[in-house]
This record gives sequence, C-alpha cells and structure tokens, in this order.
Amino acid sequence: MSSQAQPISHATEGTAASVSPVTDCPRDRLRVTQPTALTAVNVHKSYHSGSVVVPVLRGVDVAIGEGEFAAIVGQSGSGKSTLLHLLGTLDKPDEGEIWIGQDCVNTMKPLERDRLRNRDIGLIFQFYHLLPELTALENVMVPRMIGNGLFAWLRNRRHYEKRAKSLLEKVGLGHRLQHRPNQMSGGEMQRAAIARALITKPQLLLADEPTGNLDRQNGEEVIRALMTLRDEESLTIVMVTHDDEIAQSANRIIRLTEGRVAA
Amino acid sequence: MYIFLLAWRYLRTRFIAVASIVSVTLGVATLIVVNAVMAGFVDQMHQRLHGILSDIEIAPPGMGEIYDVKWCEEQIRNLAGDDLEAITTVVRIPAMLQFTFNGRPMTHTVMLIGIDDETFGTVTDFEPYLTNALNQQDPSFELRSEGYDPEIGECGWPYRRKIAELDRQYQEQIRQLQQHRQRTLPTPMNEASPSQPAPRATQQQAQGLPPLPTETPVLPATGIDERQTAGVANRGLPYVDPSEQYRAPIAAEDIFDASRDQYVGLIIGKGISHRSIPASDRGPAQELYLLRPGDDVHVTLPTAGDNPSPIMENCTIVDFYSSNMHEYDSSFAFMPLSHLQKIRGMIDPWRGTASVSAIQIKMKPGADLDQMRDKLIAFFPPDMPYVIQTWQDTQRPLLNAVNLELTILNILLFLIIGVAGFGILATFFMIVVEKTRDIGILKSLGAPGRGVMSIFLGYGLSLGTVGTGVGILLGLIFVWNINGIANVIQNITGTKVYDPMIYFFDEIPTIVSPWMVCWVALGAILIAVMASVLPAIRAARLHPVEALRYE
Repeated sequence: MSSQAQPISHATEGTAASVSPVTDCPRDRLRVTQPTALTAVNVHKSYHSGSVVVPVLRGVDVAIGEGEFAAIVGQSGSGKSTLLHLLGTLDKPDEGEIWIGQDCVNTMKPLERDRLRNRDIGLIFQFYHLLPELTALENVMVPRMIGNGLFAWLRNRRHYEKRAKSLLEKVGLGHRLQHRPNQMSGGEMQRAAIARALITKPQLLLADEPTGNLDRQNGEEVIRALMTLRDEESLTIVMVTHDDEIAQSANRIIRLTEGRVAA
Repeated sequence: MYIFLLAWRYLRTRFIAVASIVSVTLGVATLIVVNAVMAGFVDQMHQRLHGILSDIEIAPPGMGEIYDVKWCEEQIRNLAGDDLEAITTVVRIPAMLQFTFNGRPMTHTVMLIGIDDETFGTVTDFEPYLTNALNQQDPSFELRSEGYDPEIGECGWPYRRKIAELDRQYQEQIRQLQQHRQRTLPTPMNEASPSQPAPRATQQQAQGLPPLPTETPVLPATGIDERQTAGVANRGLPYVDPSEQYRAPIAAEDIFDASRDQYVGLIIGKGISHRSIPASDRGPAQELYLLRPGDDVHVTLPTAGDNPSPIMENCTIVDFYSSNMHEYDSSFAFMPLSHLQKIRGMIDPWRGTASVSAIQIKMKPGADLDQMRDKLIAFFPPDMPYVIQTWQDTQRPLLNAVNLELTILNILLFLIIGVAGFGILATFFMIVVEKTRDIGILKSLGAPGRGVMSIFLGYGLSLGTVGTGVGILLGLIFVWNINGIANVIQNITGTKVYDPMIYFFDEIPTIVSPWMVCWVALGAILIAVMASVLPAIRAARLHPVEALRYE
C-alpha cells in the first residue's frame, strides 16, 4: 500500500489514545469523536438509464466505529447495496467522500483501491460469488493469490494454505476443502465466502445480504459464524440486510430511507 | 498466481476452448507439413539440378563451338585459383535416335552429349544416376555383363548374345528358304537357256578361277532392322566383291559379330526407353522398356562446321541415365566425347585439337559462384560472346517459380491460422461474456484490471501453446509418415496421391527445419495471443458492480 493509503491497522494504532483524528477533511463535519473504521460523508450516487437519471443515494453520512457490527436496513431500492458497494470501494460516489480508517478513498488511484480492497476489506455477497472452477480451499486462497506475486505466493503458500484450512474449519467446512461450489449447499458456499473474505485478515468485513439466499437455519449458521469470527479476528462488520430479525443481532442499525440515513 | 491457475482451469473446463485448440492445431500442422514438403522438394530439386548441371558453364550461344579449349581452360584455372575443383568439356548436339520395337521403326529426339567419362563425373553427379552398379563405381561406355538393375529385366551381354543368336537363326531360316525357293520354283531366273550366262560359280569354274566360297559368311543379326543396318554383312544376301580374289580373306574376328562386338556405347535417359503402363481392362500394370542395354540404335546428327549435313552412327545402348528429373531423363543421351568430336568433324586435322560445345566448371564447396561468373564475364572479351552462367542462372525461371509458390503457400496457410485466430477471438468474447460474474468476483477481491486482462491473455497463450504443441506433434508425425499416408489414401480412394512420373522424385521429399518449426510455432502463438487481446481488454474494463450483477 502506498503512503497515501495507510492500512487501517496503522490508523488505529495512531488513534490508540481515543483521540479524534484532527484533519481538515469533510468528515470532521460528522464530529466523530472516536476512532472510525469507515466513514461516508455526504455521499450521493445516481444511476443512468439512457437519458434518465435515477438518484439512489442523496447525501448519506455514516461513521462506523472500530469493532462495531452495524446493520444497514431499508426497503428494496433504498440504496443499501449501493452504499455497501461504495463503502467497499467497488464503485465511486458521484459526490461526497468515503474514508477507510484515515484514508480517503476518493483520492486513491485505481490500483491503490484494488490493493485496499484486497488487503483491508472482506466482502461477502448474497449469491456467494465463489469461482466455480476452483475448490473451496482454492477459492479461499484467491485473495492471497491476487495480493502476492508468483514468487511471493510460492514462498508463502504453505502459510496461506494453513490459514485457509483453519478458516474453513472454523466455519465448519473442514471436510469440504477439495469440493467445488457446485458440490456444496448454499449455506456451505456462503461460509466458504466468509472464510475467503477473512483470509487476508481484514479489519473490515462488508456483507451484502449474506443470508438473503439462505433458509432460516442456514442463515442463522452464517450469522453465528460471523459473530464468532468477529470476536476472534476483531472485525468491524457492516451488513446489509432486509431481515429485521437478523439485523437485531447487530449492535447498531442504520436505516436507509429514500437514499438517506433515517433519523 | 491466480492468473495461471484460472487460465489453466478455464482451459481444462471449457469445452469450447477445444474448438480453438483444434483450429490452431490444424493450422500449425498444415503449415509444418506443407513447409516440410516444399523444403524437401526445393532441396531435392536444387540437389538434382545442381548435380546434373555444373556450377558454372561457358558456352557459345546456339550450337556454336569453343575452338581454343586449352587456352580457355588455362585462363579459367588462373582466374579461379584454389577455388577450382574440376573442369570438363562437353559437346552437345540435338540428334535423332532411331530403333525398332516389335518391328515398328521408332524415332526419338535427344540431346546428344559427348562427355569425357574420366572428368565429367568430377564436375557433375553423373555416376550416381547410372543404373548399372558397376558403372556407378567406374563409368564406362562398354557394355557390361552384369550389374544392371534387375527391374529392367534381361540386359547387357547375355541379352545381346541371345538376341544375336535369335537373329542369326532367323537369317539362317531366310537363307534356307531362299535356297529352297531357288531349287524348287521354276522361274525365268533359274531356267537355263543357251542365250543366258551360266551361273556365276559355274562360270568361274569354267574359267579356271578359284571357286567361290561355298558358304558366304552370314553374320548374325544385330537386332536392328535389316533395312537400316549398315554394312554388307547384315544384308543376308551373298555378295561377291569382284576384287576379293586378289585380297586375303577377311579374318573372322574382323567381321562385326553382334554376339561378340558392340558399336560405340551410348547411355540414354531412362525416360526414352521406359514406359509405365497402368492396369486396364487389357491387362495388369507393367513396366515396358522399348530399349535395353545391349540393343543397337541409329543416331542421326549434324556434322560440325558451316554447312552441317546429317550423319548416321550405329550405337549400342550400354546403360540408362536416371536422375528422376523427367526433363533430363527423357532427352539426354551420352556418348564418348572423342568419338562424337571425330564423327562430327570437330577435330582440326592440322593442329589435332578438338573443339567443344561448352566448358563446365566445378568450384570447391563454399566458393562464390556468382563472383566467379562475374570474373569470367569480365575476363572474356566481348568478341568472344560466350554465355557464362551458374547453374542457378540456367534454372532461374524454375527456381523463381518454386520460390514464389512457396511464398504464396505460406501466406495462404498463415491466413488459415488467421482464421483460427478469429475463431479464438469469437470464442474468447463468448468466454468473457460467460465469465462476466467471475470477473466481477475477482475485481471485488482486489484483482486489478491488468490482472484480469492477464488471465485472458494467459488463456489465449495457453490455448495457442497447447494448439501449437499438438499441431507440431501432429505435423511432424504426418511428415515422417507422409509416404505411408499417401499410400493409404491411394489404397482407399484409388487415386494416385503422388505420381513419381510427374514429379522429380520417387518419394515425397520432406525436410523439417527447426527454424521453420520455431517460426510457425511463434507465429501461431502470437496470433492466438493477439486474438485474445480485445476480449481481455473488454474483461479488464468491466465494472465490478455491473459484472457482479450480470445474469
């Protein structure tokens, strides 16, 4: 990571004395007084359909503290997933700023954003999004493969493999290492996706309706796995869900209505 | 690492990739086979042409002659220095070959070449193309008893003696028949009358002269039509020389005996004599020889000088010349140089020197023929308008045509691989569309655009490499077994795939050049990679969110 985009861990070290980051950045407007893992300041986002502009986010201000488990809830079309994509640096806001720890994403170059996403952010999706050609173990190791060059990968492969196996065992897939996604159930695939999101030891985990495609039992298992790993890995979790019951497991609920955070 | 892993997995799991691999494989295999055959063909043709023709030839235009041979040779030696390997002189003259086959007179135009059998072989590849094994070691214009190719059948001295004996028997029968007719048939010729002179023998006896020999020596026939045979001995009719009584009788060994003697030796191109008759309703396929070593022929040729007149020479076929170059095998006939010079009147009676049609030069390996040719052209003054050419100059039209053919073939075949490249392009676009969500996943996991691009470039590379590898293997196997494959196709289809009569060689010649294989492989891989560039760029530019949402 370049000097411009410091890892979150560095930022948190710098704020260990619970001192608010004093900068002249727009996020100061949010008057954040404790270390934040994630900040969105006046974020706007619209989609274009031909000449028609569809506004989705209309000035979202959110600050998520370190170690927090936040659930973003709202009706369909309220912009939950769009906000999560912006927070996960998968997309850029039309207006406003996104801060990951002490780093402003807006000013980052594409390659720096890719690195940030690879090392510091774990992403989980509703439809698991595992690569069908790879086994569960390989899928989990993909972020490490992406983050390392060929020789670095070959040098550290055993270490990464050990970590991947350990994560898969933690989510209860120790017996599914060599299975491909099409040989696994939905719950198993989602747990493998969680393991993949955590392989790089990120501080931030973003989950886009992780239980949306699962039955209640599997959904509960996934949430249980998330909670366990949150404690073990000191994670900050932001989860988008439309299920109020699952949202209750979070210690903070952010409700989006018509593209804004509801009061 | 994920680039290699995914490129490899896509290659393994995408059946559609097989179609691209097959197209590259076929293109590469075709290029290798065609190039190997063409290279073999060109190399063999060069070898043959270079072997048959001398490195450099100095000849007057048309049917002119070089008179000052010794001086020319001396100058050539001085100019060439250490690069010179050998020099020979030849006489070349168009001639007509006449013979009878099954009683039918036949005429064939030939290029009669008078050669010095001691030096000609040092300048050109002459001996290896002779069919008699003994002549290949030590070329000779003497008919041999053995060493001939068994495929020709009966030939050489045993054949000549047999034919001579049959001819002798035939002549004997004719003679007996004539005698019988003279005795039995009352004709005005043998009816004695007082006014007519007595028979010659009786007349002679009456005059007290020595009697005629009771047996006029009837010489064995030579296999040549009786009408065409020169000399008195072959006419089969008793002839009495009026002055014979005053001369010593001719010794038997001085009389030409076909079973014992031969005319001047003639080596003819095998194509003049040989005919392959394909199988038909009238019978099976057979190899027919109109002439064999041991047969006699007449050669009609013009004399040298300002007013050429035809002369006829009896010759005995002593061997065949088989270079497998149809053009030469069907027209060349070789005769001893000194004999040809003598019968054509090319020997200066005052100085005793003989003129020639051309001087042929063999240079040492590695010598620059063009440079030597230019030196010779510069040396010989314009008033000696000699045509000085290297063997490549002589065959320039043919060599140029073959090179042009090779170039056009290569362009056409690379277009085949180009078509395969467009196949890869289409396939890759399909794969990119199919893999849109995977691309979104990879980007969401932090894969940069160039990493995604590399996957597809790597995919194209691996596809091209596998296709090229299999293509090379297939092409080489094909090339190494090309004659067997041609035979199999011939057996299946009944059509002759390769006809040695049309081409210069008995078998399909092939040469696999490692450089050629490398160029083909590199070209094919490059085309495969180039074809994957556009889809790879498209994949790299995909927006991760849109890619993740792609259904």
